[in-house]
Amino acid sequence: MLETYRGTYFHPRTQFITIDAEGNVLESDNVLFSLKKGDAIGTLSAFFEGLAAYFDVAEDNDIKFTCIHLENRDKQEFTCDIEFKTFANEQPTLIIIHDFSDHYKYYQEVAQSRNESVINSQVLELQNKYLKEKEDFKNTFIANFSHELRNPLTGVTAFCSVLQKTNMSTEQQDYVEVIKSSADHLKNMIGDILQMSKIEVGKLTIEEELFSFHELIEMLEFTYSVKAKQKNIEFELDFDENIPRFFEGDKTRIKQVFENLLENAFKFTSTGKVTLSIQQNQRRARKVNLNISVQDTGIGIPTEKLELIFNSFTQLNNSQKYSGTGLGLSIVKGLVDLMDGKITVESEEGVGSTFKMNINFKYPINQESTSLENKSDIESKNFLSKQKYNILLAEDSELAQMAVLKILAQEGHFFLDIISNGEDVIESVIHNEYDLILMDIRMPGTNGDELTKMIRSLPVQNCKTIPILAITANLFDDDKKRYKKMGMNDIIEKPFDETTLLKKIYKYLK
Amino acid sequence: MKASKKIILLGHFGVGKSSLIRQFVENTFTSDYKVTIGVHILKKEVEIAPDETVSLIIWDLEGYDDIKKTRASYLLGTHGFIYVFDITRPATFENLENDIEYLTNQYTNTPLKVVGNKADLVTKTYLKENKDTFGIKPDYFTSAKTGDKVDDLFTTLAKELVK
Ligand SMILES: Nc1nc2c(ncn2[C@@H]2O[C@H](COP(=O)(O)OP(=O)(O)O)[C@@H](O)[C@H]2O)c(=O)[nH]1
Ligand SMILES: [Mg+2]
Repeated sequence: MLETYRGTYFHPRTQFITIDAEGNVLESDNVLFSLKKGDAIGTLSAFFEGLAAYFDVAEDNDIKFTCIHLENRDKQEFTCDIEFKTFANEQPTLIIIHDFSDHYKYYQEVAQSRNESVINSQVLELQNKYLKEKEDFKNTFIANFSHELRNPLTGVTAFCSVLQKTNMSTEQQDYVEVIKSSADHLKNMIGDILQMSKIEVGKLTIEEELFSFHELIEMLEFTYSVKAKQKNIEFELDFDENIPRFFEGDKTRIKQVFENLLENAFKFTSTGKVTLSIQQNQRRARKVNLNISVQDTGIGIPTEKLELIFNSFTQLNNSQKYSGTGLGLSIVKGLVDLMDGKITVESEEGVGSTFKMNINFKYPINQESTSLENKSDIESKNFLSKQKYNILLAEDSELAQMAVLKILAQEGHFFLDIISNGEDVIESVIHNEYDLILMDIRMPGTNGDELTKMIRSLPVQNCKTIPILAITANLFDDDKKRYKKMGMNDIIEKPFDETTLLKKIYKYLK
Repeated sequence: MKASKKIILLGHFGVGKSSLIRQFVENTFTSDYKVTIGVHILKKEVEIAPDETVSLIIWDLEGYDDIKKTRASYLLGTHGFIYVFDITRPATFENLENDIEYLTNQYTNTPLKVVGNKADLVTKTYLKENKDTFGIKPDYFTSAKTGDKVDDLFTTLAKELVK
């Protein structure tokens, strides 16, 4: 019985061939490939030509090759294992060809899908890497470029303040006011762009300070009620008084979230009402969860564009009517994300939009004894103890030098030394007793933060304690930290105006 | 008697070894990727001087990510190597330096050409600026697709083999 099966199912798939020392066929059973006596074995496949050196070896040798592709005369393909046997005695060289085409066909399919998926994932990874590099480049470029824009703006705003104090006609005063407000607008937009790029490269961090949340909301209520009157629309505040008075959080950023949302609502609403609602949702040990919404009766957002609303540089309404960078909402989203909050938007075209946020805030348990120092720094000039103060300004930009000089000159109780080269600063600090140093960061010679570190380590009295304030447009959060670490007391951000500069200076003078 | 020389193409899978051979032997190119398993052996007569030809027996090997896994019997009696990598996929040239060192140590006197393939996918400037990123300076930047430098590669190697 087995013999019958064997006859039916077993096709011998192995060919035996013997060759002479020149590689010509002696005998072949032609099970797979037909060869005649005397044919050069190389005619079957160039494969054998590579073995010519072994045709006449008189040694016991058995070389095995796997997975060799061969073709017969009809161009039919076979995938075979080949054994090449030589013998020490006079026996002729033997070639055994095993046809494993079926087996290798399966193997090929497996390898095909494996290799394709490996290559695809590598290509995908590269594309992502490329995209990310492009994105990083864009953000770094924007960040640097915005810095550069801040420097000349400092000059514009500072000199506007100076100019306003000179004798001018009312008409001239008005013009200066226009220049100033344009410059402020520009400053805000640059600020937006800079902040967005910082969020995107992950360089923005949330700081924690104690502040009065209620006061912040009162301030917003005041500002936006006025604004609503001007626009002839309504502004309503729905504020849950149970919310703790004091929070620990990043006041500036929280304020910015509210302002950006409200600005956005006001911008797109010409009739009706803007409502700010702040409700306590849950309160735990030291955390309070708030539901916040900003609702307007403005132009609304088309459904298909709702998803895009938080993307950077999308202003859905491209008409000239609505100005701005279009970054306000993406900044909000970025900040809310940083605070581990959630923000969603619902909108109907022509009816209005509602932005809803859910954010956790930290608050101190003891609200009563929480006292915030509320003194205005600029008032502290009444407590000045000296007639004249020596101030060193280390700054290479002439525009900035002039600005500081003018502002301080008006005050009447400052001597100002100006040094524009980093290297001369130390020398000057050793030989003069300064009451305060204003230090630019990027300077020829040595950078301001390095100089500060050196000054702090000078064996001269007062060098450890003298207030050093950075004046800089380099305002990434890690920069700020580094300046503090190098021994700087505070930072004055470029572009600065008269009030900010004086406020900070008076704060540190005793 | 006509000389016949065996050369082997090595390198990761998908770098274009089969395509280079197809371009050289048949002057065709296809963007379909058919994975090579085991070995395909092709032959082409190459004219290396007005009256002198050499027949190149070209072994197209399955690509491995580790060159040392190449079956020893395949390498038997090899006269020359072409090591191919894909300039667009770093995974294929990550070990270039090591692989080349391994080959030059194991097969000291066997000529070897290092080839960065798929040059058509990048600009000339890119190649100029990035030629140091591969770890080793390739002998050729080829394109199996356009045929650029393909004949040059095989013919130059063939000439070195009969020297
Ligand atoms: N654009 C381009 N694609 C190529 C080139 N060489 C090969 N390819 C493609 O790359 C894939 C792999 O080629 P293949 O020759 O099978 O690579 P092998 O595994 O090294 O033999 C195929 O889809 C080819 O079409 C080239 O020079 N340029
Ligand atoms: Mg291949």
